[in-house]
Amino acid sequence: MRALNIAATGMLAQETNVAVISNNIANMRTTGYKRQRADFADLYYQNLTRVGSQTSDSGTLVPAGVQLGSGVRIVATPRVMSQGELERTDNDTDIAIRGEGYLRIELPNGQVGYTRDGSLEIAADGTLVTQEGFAVVPRIVVPADARDIAVSEQGAVQARVGDTSQVLGQIQLTTFVNKAGLEAIGDNLFLETEASGAGRAGNPGDPSYGTVLQFHLEAANVVAVSELSNLIAAQRAYEMNSRIIRAADEMLSATSNMT
Amino acid sequence: MENASLVGLSRQVVLRRDLDIIANNVANLDTPGFRGEALLFDDFLMPVARDPDFARPADQRIDFVLDAGSSHDFAPGAITQTGNPLDVALQGDAWFVVDANGEERYTRAGNFTVDAGGRLVTAGGLPVMSEGGPISFGPGETDVTITPEGTVSSSAGVKGRLRLAAFDDNRVLSRIGDNLFAASNDAAPIAPAGNVRIVQGALEQSNVDGVIEMTRLIAVTRAYEQLSRLLQSQDELRDRAIGRLGRLQG
Repeated sequence: MRALNIAATGMLAQETNVAVISNNIANMRTTGYKRQRADFADLYYQNLTRVGSQTSDSGTLVPAGVQLGSGVRIVATPRVMSQGELERTDNDTDIAIRGEGYLRIELPNGQVGYTRDGSLEIAADGTLVTQEGFAVVPRIVVPADARDIAVSEQGAVQARVGDTSQVLGQIQLTTFVNKAGLEAIGDNLFLETEASGAGRAGNPGDPSYGTVLQFHLEAANVVAVSELSNLIAAQRAYEMNSRIIRAADEMLSATSNMT
Repeated sequence: MENASLVGLSRQVVLRRDLDIIANNVANLDTPGFRGEALLFDDFLMPVARDPDFARPADQRIDFVLDAGSSHDFAPGAITQTGNPLDVALQGDAWFVVDANGEERYTRAGNFTVDAGGRLVTAGGLPVMSEGGPISFGPGETDVTITPEGTVSSSAGVKGRLRLAAFDDNRVLSRIGDNLFAASNDAAPIAPAGNVRIVQGALEQSNVDGVIEMTRLIAVTRAYEQLSRLLQSQDELRDRAIGRLGRLQG
């Protein structure tokens, strides 16, 4: 009974689909989260009667053969890299990226990570860091007596120190040829991979780079309604596959009950 | 006497294959651009098997069931919005052309992405062909737009036009997995005729209808059970015949 295995691949794929959907829903309120999608592809086919094989000596051909498929698999779970909504937070170290680009982050193990999450904080030594305390590259140090931090659309960070306005640093963005090829490692962080290509750093506002917006955060691009309707569809598809297994089982038992 | 069992058996073998095809359709309910399949039954006149039990005409030939072929349903699937700029759906009778190691393959699944070299590829990583070869994007190019006619452009200008193929008869296509179709008998694609449109930010779903597959499933299981019963009663008949005819007088 091939049907048992085929339905099992269907159930397995739908299980993965539900896992992807539930991760999207769980991250609905995660800053800078990009939703994922499960892409399905059919498995290989077995030709029982090949199309175009000869059926008689006078040269007649089989117009349509018998092809039996062997099920389905998840071929990829790409991220949908559309822009999330920008929410105003009124926090002067919150920045949202509008358009292309990632913030470059120095990870504690020396690696370089990338993130869209611009909810930055100031560490004890004045360095601009992420929520986990990882420094933003290039480093920007805010003096202890700085007031009124301002980030321009082009990423220039300024503050009032004493009586003078002072430029503290420049926020840079990194873009990739294939953003979907970045490897997610959790904590809103991504790593560069062979598939994503090497990152190219530039200033916000440069051609093909996005701009940054102070006092805002980028919300997740998860749309609750479409995730829920996907969830319902996945659940029904799962049920239908299990129905096939039951039918195959009934047929097997009808066979084995023959005496 | 044996023929009833053999005819029943031929039908059961075919029903099992039918179940396999239904299972594959249902497993691919969510596969983009998937085309459902149905088994075609045929009767097969056995040239030598004859049943002398029929009264008149004395020599009746026996019909067996045969699965002559499986047909693909080339009806379009539903188109859903995804909002992803590299998702494209085809409206009308045409196929996207994909390069699989130098050979042309055809697909309706428009869930394309970009690979590390910037080429436009399918979800399985095969380059999508334009009228002038694969389409590639340079680093930092944004705002990919695809017009209804298939012209792909980005912030760096026009990149090319997606190649579309059509066939006089879609039945020359056979499935090879990974959402791809191959043309058999060296059938050459022709330019798509009529109203073919490309919709960006949308994806064509599988054309499998869950309800229809479920009703087919019920029909198959019931027919199978019925045949099992038929074979069983045939067996009982034989059993009784042996018991009665073999009884010795006395």
